[in-house]
Formats: sequence, structure tokens, C-alpha cells
Amino acid sequence: MLAFIRRTWLLWPAIGLLLVFFLVPSLDLIQASVMNPDFTLEHFERIADRKVYLAVFWRTLQVSLIVAFLAALVGYPIAYFINLQPRKTQFLLIFLIFIPLWMSVLIRSYAWMIVLGRDGIINTALLGLGLTEEPVRLLFTSGAVYFAMLQILLPVQIVTAYSAMTEIDMDLMRAARVLGARPWQALRRVFIPLSLDGTITGAIIVFMLSMGFFITPALVGGRQDMMLANLIEFQVERLNWSFASALAILLLLGTVLTVIVIRRLGNLITRRIA
Amino acid sequence: MTRRRHIFSAVLTGAVLGLATLGTAVADEIAVSGSGGVVAEVNEKYFFPAFTEDTGWTIKQVGAEAKRMAEIEAMVRAGNTVWDVSEISASDYPLAVKKGLLEPIDYALVDPDNKLPEMARKEFGVVAASYSTVLVQRLDKNPDGKKMESWADFWDVETFPGPRSLRGRPEYNLEFALLAEGVAKEDLYKILSTKEGVERAFAKLDEIKEHIPVWWTSGAQSVQLLSDGEVFYSTTYNGRVGKLQESGIPAEIIWNGGALHVSHVSIVKGSKHIEKAHDYIRIRTTRPDLELEYLKVLPYPNFAPGLFDQLDEAQAKQMPTYPANAEMQFSANEEFWADNIDWINERWNEWLLE
Repeated sequence: MLAFIRRTWLLWPAIGLLLVFFLVPSLDLIQASVMNPDFTLEHFERIADRKVYLAVFWRTLQVSLIVAFLAALVGYPIAYFINLQPRKTQFLLIFLIFIPLWMSVLIRSYAWMIVLGRDGIINTALLGLGLTEEPVRLLFTSGAVYFAMLQILLPVQIVTAYSAMTEIDMDLMRAARVLGARPWQALRRVFIPLSLDGTITGAIIVFMLSMGFFITPALVGGRQDMMLANLIEFQVERLNWSFASALAILLLLGTVLTVIVIRRLGNLITRRIA
Repeated sequence: MTRRRHIFSAVLTGAVLGLATLGTAVADEIAVSGSGGVVAEVNEKYFFPAFTEDTGWTIKQVGAEAKRMAEIEAMVRAGNTVWDVSEISASDYPLAVKKGLLEPIDYALVDPDNKLPEMARKEFGVVAASYSTVLVQRLDKNPDGKKMESWADFWDVETFPGPRSLRGRPEYNLEFALLAEGVAKEDLYKILSTKEGVERAFAKLDEIKEHIPVWWTSGAQSVQLLSDGEVFYSTTYNGRVGKLQESGIPAEIIWNGGALHVSHVSIVKGSKHIEKAHDYIRIRTTRPDLELEYLKVLPYPNFAPGLFDQLDEAQAKQMPTYPANAEMQFSANEEFWADNIDWINERWNEWLLE
């Protein structure tokens, strides 16, 4: 017992913190969603009955998956490129990537309105070049939502993927070359399997953050680009805590299950290509 | 991982410190929660000094907008009311009353001479501001020689082509749709009280749906859309239009068919400074001299006795309660919305997804 305490005591503050500020509120949330004031499933029945909630849930899941996938795809080569630079340049590049993270999401969303709007940069250019007669609808579309969310979340992906790549011993690549692998082979058989885990972790973080997004889709999306968080916000505003909790549970379960699936799939792929 | 934990600790420390400050009640001070931004500045400049002069007490202002009701409910439930006075918006008032979050107003303290008109005196709050949800047009985007004058014009996409915007919520949009159909404003809520009436409004909204590329979610966004030329016609709050005009945008309010609302100042249930809270409410709602200064910045008048006698004509015409403007609008029925918003909003979201 004493040995156990001696080995783990450094963890206790963190566990205590999580218990008080995370676990207890989470349990409270679950309780609120099924009590009114006695046990009831009425809130979950309402979610199942009215098509809007599940429709928006699937939409949220779909948007988040696409954004996470795009972030992994775009972020990977960027992280790889940074990792190849000398130490000082790496630091500078990461710093540059961090800058937009310090800006408010609201401002970054508005910036997209300036780029994509009717009188925006792209439309002005298209009209000026005579490529179109009328301004093209770029803003207030699902495409705009994907673009804006990708741009906002990409730094998270790049930094996560990059930090995993810095752990990889580049001598392994040299060893592969010495043993006769071509550059592409060395990359595919050695580097990618070793770095994929970090990239998937990044994609998972991007996915989880996307699931809770609502300002950006509301600003740059069309009328159908609703996210579950928008519906939760409405319920909170109306002080319908129980129903808000039920929706939050739906969001939480959807997120956790999807993360598990992504992890499993990731492990499978990593093993396959290695 | 470590970085994230650092950020988390920092946020937590901040939160704990914040809670600690909230918990300490300073003697001779009341806490007033209200909107941030310009409203907060004007309060601080005119109403707070008058309160201090009158009572010797000071005011701590707390900015809270979107989550105000949630915070109030949390403090009332926890039995630790830290805000004494709060702004309560038109749409929040019925809910706050229903949930028992407010103290009744003692009019012997607020208005001893009985000078406030009946419509300013609510059981759990005094009207501190009136405002309108109105249609605004970009005059430079109108076809030559034409001007929108009604909701029927907003629906008329042949005569007035171009993108439009409405708020992404059912409140008042259903009324606007019925007005466009020619329903008299006296009949609006009678029609909306039945399911068929609500469906009738949705059917009318179907006509305009494809001409609305964006449904705004905040007042700031609605004026931004008009300012950027993203839309040519949009609803917004009347107080936002002055800023738009000042920035050189030829925008004009169409008072006809606007929704008139009133916002309140109330005392939060369990306040420990009830008497001083009444003092503040008295100063905020019954002093035309202070309200005149407020109106120079924000066209959201209250019912301070004699206020309109002291306004010059040009300024008075900008006010939602100026008789000629008020006549053309309808009084938004906030009780109707408080009772029906849950199911109508579900229908609304389904309609948006269609």
C-alpha cells in the first residue's frame, strides 16, 4: 500500500481535478438527461420522434469526419515539410502556424466572408476577368463551411502530426536506404507507418473539436448547415436543461464511438502498410 | 499534452479566481448585469454616477448577454444571488417570471408619484428600453424609382430582386409572413394560436425561402450583411441602423410592419440589496434628463415621464415609440412565443433543413 502511494502520489492532484471538474459534471449531465424529476426516457424519445435532431446529428458527424479527413490529408505533407527543415526554421514555421490559433474563431470566420462574399476577393477577380457575369454563390454554402473549418482547425492537425514526426529517428530512413530501399519505399515502409499514429491523433482532435463547432457554420454556411451544438445552445437559452443534456449525451456518445472506430481503423491501416 | 494541460490549468485558475471575486460582496455596492459594448458605456457614463450621487453606493457592472438567463437560474438555484439587478430582454421576461427568477417590483419605491404609464409597469420588471425588429432596405440596390414599403414588397421578388435575409429563428418571422399575406396586425396572434395558422405562415415563408441565402444569428451579423452588400434587404434591430448610415451606407428603416418590443430591468430573486436595487431601477427608468443623454447614443427609449417633450423632432422620429412609427408596427406578443417556441422552433428547424 505504502509503495503504491509512493509510486502514484504525483498523479493525485490531476485525478482529483478531473474528478471534481470533469467526472462529476459529466455524471450530472447524464442524470439531468433522464430525470424529470423521476427516471424518464422522454427526452430521448423526443430526439427519436422528431426527425430534426437525428438529421442534424448525422450532418454534424458527416461535416466533422470530412473536416478531420481533409485536415489529415492537407496537414500531413506540411508537417513532413516542416520536419525536414533545420531546427531554427522548424521553430519559425511552427510559430507561424500558431499565429492564427491566437485569433478569435469569430474573426477568422468573418475573414472568410470577405474572401468568399458577393463583393469578395474571389468574386471581384472572377468578374474582373470576365469569367462570370453574376457573382458566384460561394459564401453560405456547405463548401464554405468545410473550407473555413479546415482553415481554422488545420494548425491543430499540423502541430500534432509534426510533434509525432520529431520523435522518429531519421537514421531509420538512412538505414532503409543503405539496405537498398528507394526513397519512396523508405518513406512508405518506414516513415509513414511510424508517423501515421500522430496524424490520426491529430485528426481525432480535429474531429472532436469539429463536433462542437457552431459559430463558423452559422456565419458562412447556408440554412441547412446546422450543427448539433446550435440546437443545444437553443435549449440552454430556453433553460431546458434536461433536453439540452440529452442532446449533449447524443453528441458525446457519437463522438466517443466514432473516435474508437477511427482509432481501430488507424491501427489496422498502420499494421497493413508496415 | 503538457501544453494542453498548462492551458487547462490556466483556465481553471482563472475560473477559480473569477469565482472567488464573484463571491466577495463589497460593502455599499450593487451588481448590475447588462449588455456589453455601447450599452455598458452609456450606463456607466450617465446612470451609475446618478445612482452614486443619490445613494452613496457604487455599481459593479457585469457584462452578460447570451448566457444571462442560464447564469441567473444557476445563482438562484444555488441560493447565492450575486447580481442584484439585471436587464431582462423582451423574450426572456416571460420565462424568467415562469421560472420564478425575479423579485416583484415595489412601485412605491420606483415610482412613488405614479408617473410611469401602465405599459411600463410590469409585475417583475420596469421597462427600461423599447426597440424594434424592422425591415431595412439598401436604397442604392433598389430598382430605379422604387422603394420597399411593406412586407408584401419584401416578398415581391419580381419588383425587388436581390438577396434578402431574416433572422434564423421563427420569432416574428411568422408574423412578418402573415403581414405580407395581408393579415391585419390585430389578427396576427389569433391566427398563430392555431396549428393551421402557423402552417399558413410557413407556407408563405416557402415562397421566399430560396431568395434568402443567409439567416442571421446576431444583430451585428445582420448589419454586416447589409453593409457588405451580401443582402439588399434584411430585418435588424432599429438601433443598429444609425451606425450603418453613419458609415455611409444608404440604408433606410421601413417601420411599417415592424415588431415592437420592450426590455426590462428587474431584480434577481434573492438579491441582498433589494432597496438599493429599487433605487437603481428608479434612476434607470424615470429620469428623462439621463435618458435624453442615453438616446443620443442609442435609440432605445424608455417611458420616463415627459421624455418625448424634450426630444427635438428630428431625433424623435428615429425612435421606435415615436407615435407615427409605433402606429405602423405591431406589439410583439412575447408570452405567445414563450409558450410556443419549443414546438415552433422544432418545426422551423425542420423547415430549414427541407
